[in-house]
Amino acid sequence: MMTDAAVIMPKRSVKFDGIRAYARLSILITLLIITLILGTLIIQSGPAIFAASESLFTTNWKPSEGVYGIVPMVFGSLFVMLLAMAIALPIGGFAALAISRIKSLRAKRAWRSALEILAGIPSIVYGLIGVAYVSLWVAGAFDLQSGRIILSAGLILSVMILPTFLSLSEDAISTVPAAFRENAQALGLHDYEVELNVILPAAAPAIASAALLSLGRALGETMAVMLVIGSLDRLPSPLFNPLSSGQTITSKLGREVGESAFGSTHFSVLVLMSLILVALTIGLTILSQRLFKQGASR
Amino acid sequence: MTSQNGTPNREGSLSSILRFILRFFLPLFFVVVSTLTLSACSAPERLSVSGSTTVLPAVSRAAESYSESSGQRITVNAGGSGSGFNQLAEGQTDIGMMSRDITKGERAQFPKLTFNTLAVGRDAVAPAVSSEIYDAGVTALTLDKIAEIYRGEIKNWSELGGPDVDIFVIDKEASSGTRQTFMEVVMGNSKADAAGADLVIGSNNEEQTALTQSNAAIGMLSIAWLNEDVKGLSVITENGARIAPTLASVKSGQFPIVRDLNIVVRGDISPAAQRFVDYILSEDGQTHVTASGYIPVR
Repeated sequence: MMTDAAVIMPKRSVKFDGIRAYARLSILITLLIITLILGTLIIQSGPAIFAASESLFTTNWKPSEGVYGIVPMVFGSLFVMLLAMAIALPIGGFAALAISRIKSLRAKRAWRSALEILAGIPSIVYGLIGVAYVSLWVAGAFDLQSGRIILSAGLILSVMILPTFLSLSEDAISTVPAAFRENAQALGLHDYEVELNVILPAAAPAIASAALLSLGRALGETMAVMLVIGSLDRLPSPLFNPLSSGQTITSKLGREVGESAFGSTHFSVLVLMSLILVALTIGLTILSQRLFKQGASR
Repeated sequence: MTSQNGTPNREGSLSSILRFILRFFLPLFFVVVSTLTLSACSAPERLSVSGSTTVLPAVSRAAESYSESSGQRITVNAGGSGSGFNQLAEGQTDIGMMSRDITKGERAQFPKLTFNTLAVGRDAVAPAVSSEIYDAGVTALTLDKIAEIYRGEIKNWSELGGPDVDIFVIDKEASSGTRQTFMEVVMGNSKADAAGADLVIGSNNEEQTALTQSNAAIGMLSIAWLNEDVKGLSVITENGARIAPTLASVKSGQFPIVRDLNIVVRGDISPAAQRFVDYILSEDGQTHVTASGYIPVR
């Protein structure tokens, strides 16, 4: 034993020191980047709070007159996000259940890689499909002049977050101990009762955490949304009408960052909106991690 | 024994990862860095032109033929008039393209810089409608009627002698040169609010697509972008004459909604950029303005 240790130790320490230093450096760089981004956002959004404080929480957006109401954009982001979740959650949840019940390992793997491919398609491709087809279908279905509306954005987003949500919830369902299912079956429950009353509740916290993570993705999506949402800086009327054009924080940033001069109030308000976006995403991520831990500890 | 066997194994895989990184990524990193450094030092300067999508077709044709004859490499980017000015002012581009003048507000943001505006061509902005509306008999409108449509006071084509469908009003981003020219003449204020707008889009391409996809839309489009599916309306003047948006009526000065297509440069322009500007203004360079459907300045 002694000789063993003597042989391994010196070798190990030299290599390990190198790796450890490399790993620590990587952590430091990551931390530095996060701090820099947050710091920049906070500092740059300062002028907006001072210079545009009166108009900030109104619904008017007129940079030429110094009026910067961000309510339509924030509302649009949340509305589109909720719409996408309302479409994606039921589909994703049940599809995850179905995939988890597939017995053949090969078929399961095929499904999973199909999902990963779907998740890997660049968002601009979804945007193009949205402009060329989805918005036209939507316009036809609801007899509208244009399909560049909040509903189209929600539809495209739901397709975009589906793979993430589906594969995470499928993981969640697969990690429910087999004993749960076997016991429930032994009690003579129907198949659907087993799934709905035993498996789903057991996996619920992890599924909820998957949903929150996908929400984060939905909030941050820019290109696809920008192309189909219509870019109207106005609250829909009536308020929850998905058939009117709207604007999200991301589509606003995408359209106007290039037009605003660095350091101007206009620019600063745009930064403030991205700060709100980042804060929302961080909040969702933390909440999702909490839920996941809760699920794991049960 | 198992734990002792396990540790060296894991260490082995870690160090093999590190070796992999060292072997492949570090050399790659150095190659990339050295290429960038070298190209920054020695390569002939690449000119960058950026801005209005209206000016873009003419400049990009000119750039193509100029690069062929002179060997000067030129990148032409779209982004809109406002973006073109900002990039020029912030030093991100050598030449800006603008389909409007620099505003006082824009100049005020960069008090230390001087900007020169040079007209390279002339263009007209036509009120454009979906071909269905044009074919149904709405082929000319007074400026007042167009203004009422944009203010949201006229809502149905039947009020203008067309079919009984709601008017779908397409507006453009506030910083767009096309919009400012159009609003200046039609509403009397280049930054006028369009309360009747149903959709806001960014570039001429987007406008063209939106007009084509709808069957009851009105928008504003540079005359170079009019086609079979997107028809330009004639403007009815106060004495009742109908002026069609044609090159001839723009040249003669009869068509009211006209503007200069500008390139803007800074006082500290580089010699290479100056040579390209001179080329665009030369007789040869001006043929590209004509080829793009605009009116040359000489």
